[in-house]
Amino acid sequence: MASSDGLTEHARTNRDFWDAESEGYQAEHAEFIAHEAPHWGLWQLPDSELGVLGDVSGLDVLELGCGAAQFGLALVQAGARVVGIDFSERQLDHARQNVEASGLAMELVHGSAEALPFEDGRFDLVVSDHGANRFADPYLWVPECARVLRSSGWLAFSGGTAFEVVCFDEESDTWDNRLHRDYFGMRQWDWGAASDGSLEFELGYGDWIRLFRQSGLAVEALLEVNPPEGARSTYRTDEETAWARRWPMEQIWKVRKPA
Amino acid sequence: MGAPLAHGADLEGAEARMSLSEHAERNRKAWGEIAADYVQSAERNWATDEITWGVWDVTETEVGVLPDVAGKDVIELGCGTAYFSAWLARRGARPVGVDVTPEQLATARRMQAEHGPEFPLLEASAEDVPAPDASFDLVVSEYGASIWADPYRWIPEAARLLRSGGELVFLVNGTIAVLCFPDEEEPPTNELRRDYFGMHRFEWPDDDSVEFHLGYGEWIHLFGEHGFDVLDLVEVRAPEGAPPSRFKGLPLPDWARRWPSEEIWRARMRA
Repeated sequence: MASSDGLTEHARTNRDFWDAESEGYQAEHAEFIAHEAPHWGLWQLPDSELGVLGDVSGLDVLELGCGAAQFGLALVQAGARVVGIDFSERQLDHARQNVEASGLAMELVHGSAEALPFEDGRFDLVVSDHGANRFADPYLWVPECARVLRSSGWLAFSGGTAFEVVCFDEESDTWDNRLHRDYFGMRQWDWGAASDGSLEFELGYGDWIRLFRQSGLAVEALLEVNPPEGARSTYRTDEETAWARRWPMEQIWKVRKPA
Repeated sequence: MGAPLAHGADLEGAEARMSLSEHAERNRKAWGEIAADYVQSAERNWATDEITWGVWDVTETEVGVLPDVAGKDVIELGCGTAYFSAWLARRGARPVGVDVTPEQLATARRMQAEHGPEFPLLEASAEDVPAPDASFDLVVSEYGASIWADPYRWIPEAARLLRSGGELVFLVNGTIAVLCFPDEEEPPTNELRRDYFGMHRFEWPDDDSVEFHLGYGEWIHLFGEHGFDVLDLVEVRAPEGAPPSRFKGLPLPDWARRWPSEEIWRARMRA
């Protein structure tokens, strides 16, 4: 249901969450996620090691849920023309400061990934690193991505996993070796008793695959991140990182719009 | 390749390869010992016409994972008593059943004689099928080679056997279920007893068989490597009110209402 600002109900909840959290989030994570070259996810693993993006020079790239633009600026340094979109004005304030301080060019747009303010076929690549893909409804943002991609363009995004949702124990506020939540019916979820007020989205494997296919995107790869020895994170404790070496807590989908 | 073989009856009589993999030998022996337990379900399945998948008998009408099979050359890898091929044959397909266990094929032949129709049955491992390249339009496997053969061997074989545009459809145990199976033959609980990373070969203490299960990303990687596009992944949910399956080591209905007990992959060879 769209509200007067054009956002869906959950997008408004999440925008308010991010406007409120932005300051604290940047204080906690900004340094950890700022790199010259692109790094992904909870453990900030270099793209050069994961091999997801490869050479992005000369590409028109859209970053969904760009936050303070750390990921986008790394793509600019790799030679891409990058547009970042975020629904949180507070996050975009941080992004503007970061772009200005970098002396690099990156366009920043205030808006929702569920209704992208771009013409069809505008981009070669759409990326999201625990961005809009976590906080927007995939049944809205995936078709939007397909629309703004050129043919042969692709979408790569990192996020949580079905295991992350199913094995999260809200009482202990962490993950263990039990199935706590149902797999069937997964779509919008929150952290339950451990909730921070945000509404997150995750799908089962088959639902992702069907959504990509229905949106006209071909599945190229599903990279399930197994954090290497020595991996560190400002998002997860060492115990949680140890859990993530047994079951997938983070995954990167790579899908392509056919030629 | 061995002698050049056309599909259809010419395949009948093709010999099993002399060198089976160690796990294929073990599975052939294990299945030989329990084949008698599968005669009754063979009788029941050959006597019906409806295509159903897995232990919950979910109908093909409901899941819709098969292409139209009329007039198509189909090979079933790990066909067991070959009821699935019989269902496809009755819809106009030209199936060939492949199984490594002679006792299972003996049941299949008896069922063919009793119920019809007849179609070729080959005693061979899905890891090394005595049939020519690009001779089939569809490869199917339902709790067959899909879990008893090594995917790093049988997926390349499926790719070799298929014509371009041909499809691969197979059912396996649900990934989460596999991670939750206790070592003894008991239904899974909500406890993950083994790791996801490194999934491949599984052995159980109560018999000498060897199973193979991969994680989602690894299946997708393997499909891509062998020229397949992923078309679908159906995660089977037990129907409401389903009675417990007759397999005591498999998930109970309550479990299978919450988490996938079975998964059906569908992929297509690129043109």
